[in-house]
Amino acid sequence: MIKLPLLSTVLKNIAKRPATNLFPKTDPVPVPEDFRGKIIYHVDKCVGCRMCVMVCPAGVFIYLPEVRKVTLWLGRCVFCKQCVDVCPTRALEMSDEFLLATYDKYDKKLRWFTEEEIEEYKRKLEEQKKAKEVAKKS
Amino acid sequence: MSDANPTTENVEAQREPTKEEKIAEMIKAKFPRAEVEVRENKWGRKRIGVSVSREDYKPLMEFLRELDPEAHYSIAIEEDLGEELGLATHLLILYEDAPGVSLIVKTKVPKEDPVLPDVSDVYPIALQFERECMEMIGLDFEGAPDKRRLFLPDDFPEDIYPLRLDEKGISEEIVKNAGHPYLLRRGST
Ligand code: SF4
Ligand code: SF4
Repeated sequence: MIKLPLLSTVLKNIAKRPATNLFPKTDPVPVPEDFRGKIIYHVDKCVGCRMCVMVCPAGVFIYLPEVRKVTLWLGRCVFCKQCVDVCPTRALEMSDEFLLATYDKYDKKLRWFTEEEIEEYKRKLEEQKKAKEVAKKS
Repeated sequence: MSDANPTTENVEAQREPTKEEKIAEMIKAKFPRAEVEVRENKWGRKRIGVSVSREDYKPLMEFLRELDPEAHYSIAIEEDLGEELGLATHLLILYEDAPGVSLIVKTKVPKEDPVLPDVSDVYPIALQFERECMEMIGLDFEGAPDKRRLFLPDDFPEDIYPLRLDEKGISEEIVKNAGHPYLLRRGST
């Protein structure tokens, strides 16, 4: 005799509503508290201690000695949160953002403190320096 | 204090030589040149460490197999020690009444003559680890029935052993890094 042990379960389930989330028509399944999403980098808080460069297992950070900051490429991030835990000034933070697909692996949204921002920051430093000198002279 | 006191019982149990100590004594008696020590980690788990010369390596492995025909060969790990190549083998024996005796057999050979006897006739699984050693660190196993590569691709250079720390290891040119955009922008990889 053929045994069909799943038959009763299947018949019962046919009558039920599907238990799926119709993303993107609906919102995605809500993330839990302390979810590890995209890293956020607050440039102004960073003191350039290089701790994040040391702990990151994926080589996301490059230290910039001339401005004593770091630049990030999240294309490699494995969302382990070690950099956030080690950062002494809380310049790094994890967000809830997880819809990170892009067409370009070097996309702006996967980078923090890009070349342009670094140049701008350098200019700002220069201006501050000049302003200070002017203030001293007068 | 009564005999039922668990503290006294523990002390008495410790006076008896443990399984590990008995095995260590047996190895010392049979292989006087071997260095044998019983170590204990912070959770009280004991482990025997045996360091033997190349000549004693195979006889010791055979001896352990005779001691417990069910001996479990877990893993062999190769290591570059500078002037020498090391091989550490982990075995678990007498595990019928848990916990078994955990045992590490260490041996080393000079780099000019990196040859060890093959033990895959004693522990058949050893062949896999020996094949790995041969390709990864250039430690040859005399009499191994199969000396083909196991993990490295066929087009990998013959005279390079990835786990060597010396000039026979991986050179800078072989290492590839799929560029951080900041470094790429600056013209280096
Ligand atoms: S979360 Fe982990 S992988 Fe991502 S940047 Fe921080 S340390 Fe690196
Ligand atoms: S650990 Fe924090 S403060 Fe230190 S360099 Fe990294 S981001 Fe800046």
